[in-house]
Amino acid sequence: MDTLIGIINYVVFFAITAGTYGILALGLNIQWGYTGLFNIGIAGFYALGAYAAALVSGPPPSAWDGRIFGGFELPFLAGLLAAAVVCGIVAFLIGIPTLRLRSDYLAIATIGIAETIRLVLKNESWLTNGVWGLQQIPSPFYDPIHGGVKAFLGNHPDLQGWIHGLFSKAYNWFYLFLVLAILFVLYLIVERLVNSPWGRVLKAIREDEDAVAMSGKNTFSFKLQALVLGAMIMGIGGGVYAYYARFISPASFKPLYGTFLVWVMLILGGSGNNRGAILGSFVVWGIWAGTDFLTEYFPFSATQAASLRIIIIGVLLEAILLWRPQGLLQRERKPSKTP
Amino acid sequence: MSLLTVNAVTSGYGDMEILHGVSIEVGAGKIVTVIGPNGAGKSTLMKTIFGLLTPTAGQITFAEKEITGLSPDLVVRRGMAYVPQVENIFPSLTVNENLEMGAFILTDDFSGQMEEIYQLFPILNDRRKQRVGKMSGGERQMVAMGRALMLDPKLLMLDEPSAALAPNLAATIFERIVAINASGVAILIVEQNAKESLKVSDRGYVLASGRNRFEDTGENLLANQDVGQLYLGG
Amino acid sequence: MDILSRIPQLLVYGVISGSILSLGGIGVSLIYSIIGFSNFAYGDMMALGAYIALGLFSLFVSWSIPNTPLGPLSFGFGFILAAIFAIGLTAVAVVLIDRILFNRLRSHSSVILMMSSIGVALALRNILQFFWGPQPHYYIERIQIATVIPGLGIRIKPDQVFIILVTIVLVVLVHAFLKYTKMGKAMRATADNNALARVTGINTDRVIVWTWVIGGALAATAGILAGIENKFITPELGWQMLLSIFAAVVLGGIGNPYGAIVGGMVIGITEEVSTAFIPTGYKPAVAFIIMILMLIVKPTGLLGKRR
Repeated sequence: MDTLIGIINYVVFFAITAGTYGILALGLNIQWGYTGLFNIGIAGFYALGAYAAALVSGPPPSAWDGRIFGGFELPFLAGLLAAAVVCGIVAFLIGIPTLRLRSDYLAIATIGIAETIRLVLKNESWLTNGVWGLQQIPSPFYDPIHGGVKAFLGNHPDLQGWIHGLFSKAYNWFYLFLVLAILFVLYLIVERLVNSPWGRVLKAIREDEDAVAMSGKNTFSFKLQALVLGAMIMGIGGGVYAYYARFISPASFKPLYGTFLVWVMLILGGSGNNRGAILGSFVVWGIWAGTDFLTEYFPFSATQAASLRIIIIGVLLEAILLWRPQGLLQRERKPSKTP
Repeated sequence: MSLLTVNAVTSGYGDMEILHGVSIEVGAGKIVTVIGPNGAGKSTLMKTIFGLLTPTAGQITFAEKEITGLSPDLVVRRGMAYVPQVENIFPSLTVNENLEMGAFILTDDFSGQMEEIYQLFPILNDRRKQRVGKMSGGERQMVAMGRALMLDPKLLMLDEPSAALAPNLAATIFERIVAINASGVAILIVEQNAKESLKVSDRGYVLASGRNRFEDTGENLLANQDVGQLYLGG
Repeated sequence: MDILSRIPQLLVYGVISGSILSLGGIGVSLIYSIIGFSNFAYGDMMALGAYIALGLFSLFVSWSIPNTPLGPLSFGFGFILAAIFAIGLTAVAVVLIDRILFNRLRSHSSVILMMSSIGVALALRNILQFFWGPQPHYYIERIQIATVIPGLGIRIKPDQVFIILVTIVLVVLVHAFLKYTKMGKAMRATADNNALARVTGINTDRVIVWTWVIGGALAATAGILAGIENKFITPELGWQMLLSIFAAVVLGGIGNPYGAIVGGMVIGITEEVSTAFIPTGYKPAVAFIIMILMLIVKPTGLLGKRR
């Protein structure tokens, strides 16, 4: 019984993380899948969103904190909004000098901004508390739910042990529901947007930007909007992570690995297909978590095992690019028009 | 005797068919011009002959061997050279280096051929070390033709050699084309505005909407009233 | 006054790190202009070279190949031999990666190649980490005393002079190769106009292989020199320099190897001098900001051609 409860609790934890990645993959899908923008600074926007949400909702600086700013104790949604806005502004600033140029420039600039964000989080203690990170980020409705369940279980010591085991993590169930609800709402919004006239322009830019420009559309403006919108969704993903983790520090955000995982998720699932993006998140996170178990059976050290997992994901990416570039779910096909 | 025979060739880009069964012939040592309005398929014809596009039907024969569907690097080795209409030079390379690249597939000494080209285009002779990107349109066209001649081809194909050139420069280019032809090289030219070109041509073809429309000697086409009105601007 | 007095010394450090950035920048630039994509695995190719040199060097030590320091340098014949073999092996490895991967993806858009290079980057780095671990490894654990240049008060180590000299020699060699050899000219022609190069009969596939050979050799050299300068190497060595290398390439004009030299020097010097004013940790951000400013002012870079 204990094993089963352990598995259930793990699956809930797994799904919360995979759902959070699904939010990031949706954001990337707007940028890459629909518009063809090459953003490799996802981890930067993710971290930025997490910090923005934490500073908006977290407690004011305590006496031993290095930081002197932030901590407004505002509610969950205000934090997510702040995360989206801050990421949108940064994406806007990055997009302006790069989106008129070849895609290489955006790629280099997004890696640069992710690195810069990482350095700021580490070094600007007055704002971010440096390497010590931000603590006591309030999970929404934590006290009523967790406290309530705890009180209930406390009042009923006669209930069987497995019920206690199962319900001790009841808050995670709620948070999973919350993550999936946010993911679903964002999915609906993105679906509606990409199927609107606006979304059709994005897809046309992805296929042939010059042709769209020649038809009189300001492609730069559309690309900028897609970049900003995608980054805002990534910021929300960061916020969702922060409220669950309750503690974030620069070490929580491995710059390239997070970005890389999200890319593999989107490409495996099928870029240009929102359901594919979400499916890819769960599949790749499943592979990632699965390799964690797998490597326990090999005679490797922990760091070797960690390296091996990344090598596996790297090989997976190359295999998809070589043999199944369209991913698991193909993008919706329209009858092809001759050029 | 026919050097190049294009027989009922169908070709285009992807699903889009542009040539619907075009036939032309270039005799050894002759000058042939293909004219026609914008979109008639002239450049497509050139690219298909040279192997940049693969025909979906028809045959292309060059020097008595079929070359249909052969890739450009192999076509070059058979003795055909092609000067595209635009981007036909290496701008950051000098004149000398552009010519050298024309002889890339040769392993033996090509300095003799290079000197002949400098004699053909004396204006380039003084500018051997100059970067081509900084030269005028007419000079670039000469470099492009010189580059194509480095392998001493049997057939030189020119895509709109006088496009975007001032009239006096265009005249110079055609004068050079006649000189090249005099050394025994057959020449296939496609032109949109083609009076100059037909004047020097042994034979001319008129293409329209991807089909053969007229075919005659250059002189006769120039004299033909229909051709004149429809395709030579009255 | 204290800050200003440090600047001459920082300029010297800037030239040293600028040398390494320049070598990497030339490689990135050649690959970009001839093969047509930004190679995000370049930093990790540098690290690969540095680790192959480490492996060979310890092998040579175990074979008792002498490594008596050459003159004032901290290393000797054994290390130089290891470095030369490592440069060759890295070139071979990089060509293999191209044949297995990039060459097959070339028919797709350049963005797919960029993405593939990110996969290669992470795989390479983690292969190194798998075998050697994340901890630093030392080429030679001997402390070298810096020489003070009289009058200027600038300190410089013999190894650092070696780095600058190697860079100068390699820049001259690459320049001569591009300028005077048939393959070098064909590389420039392919960079200028790939379609015309093929129409002309240039064997562009051979051009691409040569580009990887030179790019890989320069990567390995830059990685080994960075190891000499830092005294140690980690699997992150190249990745940590990649942003600065890209900044150098963009600053000089993306796709222009000569621009990469100028850009490398400017970025190297600015990064070092910036440490007099802002925390050392912000070095990569300094490079990034210079790059963004360049993109706003003149996206084609200092020596760039139009693209």
